[in-house]
Amino acid sequence: MKRLRILKLGWEFPPLINGGLGIACLGLSRALAKHVDLTVIVPKSVPDTEFDGFKLTGLNNLEATELLTTEEKYRYDSFARIEQVPIHLDPYSDEETSIEKIRMEPGGVIEFSKTTQVQLDRFKMDDLYGGDLAMKVIEFSKVAAKLAMLQDFDIVHAHDWMTYLAGVEVKKATGKPLVVHVHASQYDRAGADARGWIFDVERYGMEEADRVIPVSQYTGQICAGHYGIDPDKIRPVHNGADPVEVFQTKKKFPEKLVLFLGRLTTQKGPEFFLDIAAKVLEENKDVRFVMAGTGERLRPLIESGAFHGLGGYFHFTGFLNKEKVNELLSMTDVYCMPSVSEPFGLSALEAAQFGIPAVISKQSGCAEVLKGALVADFWDTELMAKHISDLLNDEVLRENVVRQAAKDISSSTWDAAAEKVVEIYHELVP
Amino acid sequence: MPDVSLYFQVHQPNRLIPYDFFRIGEHAFYEDDVLNAEILSKVSEKCYLPANAMFEKLLKKHKGSFRIAMSISGTVIEQMQVHRPDVLESFQSLVATGHVELLAETYYHSLAYLHSKKEFERQVEMHLDLMEKVFHVRPRVFRNTELIYNNAIAAQAETMGFDGILGEGVGWALNGMSPNFLYRAPHVTQLKTILRNSGLSDDVGFRFSDKNWSEWPLTPEKFAKWIAESDGDVVNLFMDYESIGEHQWEDTGIIEFWENLPEAVIEEDLRWVTPCEVVDLHRAAKEYDCHWPTSWADAERDLSAWMGNVMQQEAIGKIHRLEDEILAAKDDDLTRVWAKLQTSDHFYWMSTKEGTDGGVHQYFSPYGSAYDAYIYFMNALADLQIRLKRIREKAATLPKLGPKRRVAEKKARS
Repeated sequence: MKRLRILKLGWEFPPLINGGLGIACLGLSRALAKHVDLTVIVPKSVPDTEFDGFKLTGLNNLEATELLTTEEKYRYDSFARIEQVPIHLDPYSDEETSIEKIRMEPGGVIEFSKTTQVQLDRFKMDDLYGGDLAMKVIEFSKVAAKLAMLQDFDIVHAHDWMTYLAGVEVKKATGKPLVVHVHASQYDRAGADARGWIFDVERYGMEEADRVIPVSQYTGQICAGHYGIDPDKIRPVHNGADPVEVFQTKKKFPEKLVLFLGRLTTQKGPEFFLDIAAKVLEENKDVRFVMAGTGERLRPLIESGAFHGLGGYFHFTGFLNKEKVNELLSMTDVYCMPSVSEPFGLSALEAAQFGIPAVISKQSGCAEVLKGALVADFWDTELMAKHISDLLNDEVLRENVVRQAAKDISSSTWDAAAEKVVEIYHELVP
Repeated sequence: MPDVSLYFQVHQPNRLIPYDFFRIGEHAFYEDDVLNAEILSKVSEKCYLPANAMFEKLLKKHKGSFRIAMSISGTVIEQMQVHRPDVLESFQSLVATGHVELLAETYYHSLAYLHSKKEFERQVEMHLDLMEKVFHVRPRVFRNTELIYNNAIAAQAETMGFDGILGEGVGWALNGMSPNFLYRAPHVTQLKTILRNSGLSDDVGFRFSDKNWSEWPLTPEKFAKWIAESDGDVVNLFMDYESIGEHQWEDTGIIEFWENLPEAVIEEDLRWVTPCEVVDLHRAAKEYDCHWPTSWADAERDLSAWMGNVMQQEAIGKIHRLEDEILAAKDDDLTRVWAKLQTSDHFYWMSTKEGTDGGVHQYFSPYGSAYDAYIYFMNALADLQIRLKRIREKAATLPKLGPKRRVAEKKARS
C-alpha cells in the first residue's frame, strides 16, 4: 500500500485549546504522521510551533497573496444551502444563540469575493469560540477550500462540526474523499432535543462524508440513531491517552476522597454527583466529595449542596489548573463520571493512570475502554452510590477494578488509534 | 420634649483567608491576619482615632451634660490588643472620662442566642469579664448582636440580671406605637426595652451623605429640631461607630456634624442621657409584644441578613451543632477558633440579596461573592472538625495510661 497524503482540518490545536478536542487532534496527528504524510490546517496557530512529522498551518499566519492562484476557480457550493447564520455561538455554552440573515443572491447561489487580508486577519484576533463564531466557521471553510486546491493529498479528514463545512467544501473542490471525526456532538452538549445551526452542520457534514469516525461506539450510535447516518460508513475509533506523570500524595485528612472533574454543565451530570454524594454520606461520613471545575451550574450546585446539608463534606474547588488537577488525582480514592452523555471522557482514563477506580455512567464512551469500571445509568444515583460505597469498603473489588483498568489503558494508545484510522483511509484509497 | 440617647456599636470581625479545599487538614489557621490588621488600621485612622479624640474633647467640654453609650465587641478588642494597642488606649481614655456607658453583648458578636442558650450565656459572661478587665466597668444594659431582639431574648436578659435591653423599633411589631417610649416585654417584671428610633438614626447613619435625599445637607441644628419635635420620653439614636468617617467619609462633613450636634441638642433644651439613665428615669408603661426576632439589618429588619438563604442556614446550623463536642474536648484554642467562626459577619457575607441591601452586604465583604464566602467558611469548618476528631482520638488513648502517669503528665505539662 502506498503512503497516503492526508489533509487534516482542525479547530483547536495545542497550545491554543479550550477543551479535549485540541488534545485529541494533536495526539492523533502525532501518531498518524508515522504512517501518512500529514498536513493540518487550523484557524489559528502559534507561529513557529514545530511538530514532529507533520505541518501545521494557521490561517492567522497566512498571507492573502498565497491564495491568489486559486481565486475564481471554484464557487462555494455548500453555502448556497445556508440561509441563516447564528451569531455568537459557543459550543461550550448552553445559551441560546441569536440569528442573523445573510444576503442571498438571486438564483440561490452566493458569490463570494476574493479572500482578503482582512478576512484572514480575523483569525488573528480573539479566541476561537468568541465573537461571531458562525462567520469564522464559514471564512475558515472558504479559505481551507482554496488552500486545499494548492496541495496534493488523497483524503481530507475534518474534526468536529466547526470544520465540517470546510471538509465538504474541500471534497467538492477537489473530488477527494472526506472523513469526518466526531469528538462530540450537539447531542452531548445540549441534549437530545437540541436542534439548530450546529446540529444541521453536523448532520450535513456526516451525510456528505465517506466515512464517519466517532470516538466511541456510544457516539456511533448517536450518529446513526440521532443524526440518521448510514451505519455502514460509521467506524468508531477510541481515543488514546497520553501517559501522564503519576505520583501519589498523602491526604491531609483521614477521610476517603471521591472526585468529580469537569465543566459544571448539565450534560456532565454534576447534579447527579451531588445526589450520589448525599446518598453515600447518609451511610458513611468518612468520605469527602470534591467537585472540581467551573461552569454555569456552579452557583445552583453550591446552593443545592447547602440545601442537602452536604457542606463540610462536599467541596467545590472552582477552576483548577493541570498541576492542581494532578495533585487532586494523586490523593483521590474513587473517580466518578456521571455524564448524561459523554462521547469519550479522557479524564477517566487519566484517573485510571493514577490507579483510581472509576464509577462511570453507561452513557460514556470510555466505559467501552475501561472494561472493569463500575457503570450505571447516569440517572441511577442509587446504583452509582452503591458502586462508590463498594469501592470504598471492598479492598478486593477495588484492586480488581484498578488492575483491569491498568490493563485497559496500556492498550489505549494513540498509536493503536492511528493504526485503525489508517485502515479506514485505505478503505477509501486502497 | 424627649431626652436623647446616643449609642454606638464598635465591632470588627475576623475575616477568613480564601480557605480552599487543598488547605483542609493541613492549614489550621483560618483568619487573614494581614487583612484584618489592615482594615483595623484603616478604620482606626478614618474613624476610631479621630472620633474618639473628638468625643473625648466634647465629653470633657460639656462636663456630663453630653453623654454617650458604646458597645465594643470582644473580637475588635482582641484585634486592637494584638495590632493596635494605641487605639484600645484611646477607647480606654474615652471611657475614663466617666461620661461613656458601656453595654454588654456577646463577646464574639454572634447569633448564639438563636441556637444555644448555653453558648449565649457563655459569651455574654465573657464579654462582661472583658469589660471589667479592660475598662473596669460592669454594664447594666444589654444589646444583642445587630439589635436582634424578641420577647424571649428580653426574658433571657432579665434572667441574667440586666436592667435594660436594646432593640430595633420595628414598625410591624410596634403596631402603631412610638419607639420613643420604654416598653416591657411580656413575661418580664423589671427589665425595660429601649427601642431604636430607626428614622432619625438612619438619617445620620445612612442618609447623611446622600445628595439625592431631600433633606441634604443635614445640619446639627435641623437635626436637633427634628428631635425636639418628636413625641415620647426618649429618642434613641443607635448606629455603627464606623458610620463616622468610615461608612460616611470625612469629606461628607460628618465629623463637623457630630462636633456641633451636642451643643445644638442642648440649645433645644433637650437632655443627653445614656441607656442606664433612660431605664432609671422613665417608666415602661406599655407592653411591646415582639414574638419574631427583629434586628436593625436590611429593609426586612429580621434575621434574613444572616439566615436568609440555604448557604447561611447550613453554615450557621453546622457551626452551632458542634458545640457539645467542642466544649467536651476542653481545648481552649479549639474553643476560641470555633467561637470566632460564630461571628455574625461570616453569615452576613453569604447573603445573596440584591438591590441596596445586597450592595451593603457586598461593600463589607472581603470576598468576591457570597458563594466564595460560603465555600471558604465550610472548608475551614471541615478542617475544624478534623482537628476536633484528632483531639478526641488523642484523648481516647489517654485512659490506657495509669492514673499516676496521667497526673505526672499533667504536672509536666503545667
